[in-house]
Amino acid sequence: MSRKLAVVSLAMLILAGAMGLKTIVTAHGDGSVIMANGAAPAPPTPYRNGAAPAPPTPYRNGAAPAPPTPY
Amino acid sequence: MPGPFALFIWMVGLFCETAVVVCALKKRAFRRYLLLNLYMASAVLSELGRYKILTEYGFASKQYQYFYFYSDAILTIFLYFALCTLYVHVFSEMKAERYVKMGTLLLLAGTALFTYAVVEQSSAKLVTHFVVDLSQNLYFVGLVLTYVLWAAILKLRETRTRLIQLVLSLGVYFSLFAANYAIRNLYPSLSSVFVPLVQVFGLFLPLAWAYAFWRLPEEARLVPARLAVIPR
Repeated sequence: MSRKLAVVSLAMLILAGAMGLKTIVTAHGDGSVIMANGAAPAPPTPYRNGAAPAPPTPYRNGAAPAPPTPY
Repeated sequence: MPGPFALFIWMVGLFCETAVVVCALKKRAFRRYLLLNLYMASAVLSELGRYKILTEYGFASKQYQYFYFYSDAILTIFLYFALCTLYVHVFSEMKAERYVKMGTLLLLAGTALFTYAVVEQSSAKLVTHFVVDLSQNLYFVGLVLTYVLWAAILKLRETRTRLIQLVLSLGVYFSLFAANYAIRNLYPSLSSVFVPLVQVFGLFLPLAWAYAFWRLPEEARLVPARLAVIPR
């Protein structure tokens, strides 16, 4: 029983740590994807395209900072 | 359409991912590291699908966007399970397979619930938002899990060279993306350098794993003292 409880608490601890780390890394983020599987060029996330004009793809960004996400 | 550099890196990536599966098959390690190889095989299929859709509909098309992010989420879940099988390998002598499986499912469910709780605030495109965010959250869970596994490898004085190489390369792979993302947001003026690097970093894992399967035999052992000296 104690082993099961240890697994549950470890899982929760890892989840809390991971989300804390994400908050730190993405604190000043532009909403673009952090990591993608494979070497294919990443398009902008689909849910960023609402009524507002879509920002340029990450590979065509100039030196200008990316706009914040609308959501 | 992406530029020639992006296309070249993409094709090299596809070649490296195929090389991992071929090397594992050739060295008879496919079944031993089944989920790692299934992840790479599905990455190859996903790359081929992405290429077909990109050439058919274009880079900025909705089709490419949706296919890219949905396939990416599936691949991240595969990678998560592959990482958990590395835990099973490391803790095999402790007969902790049952607990690792339980923890794996619990953590996946917890991450999914957390992601849903965050994205339900957003009214538009809930499913797509959920899929992309789940993929990104699982990436961070994978990053933390890899470092925990690396600590366990040091503590347990694991000596299997191939296993150490697989875990260590996964840790470097995750860390490269996190560091790149953090740097390019801290210094937006350097984003023209750091954004294309994301694609190059995608090559690291298949290269490291192909090397691990091709050059390191399953029987190869490291001297524990060469990893770290931990007083007991």
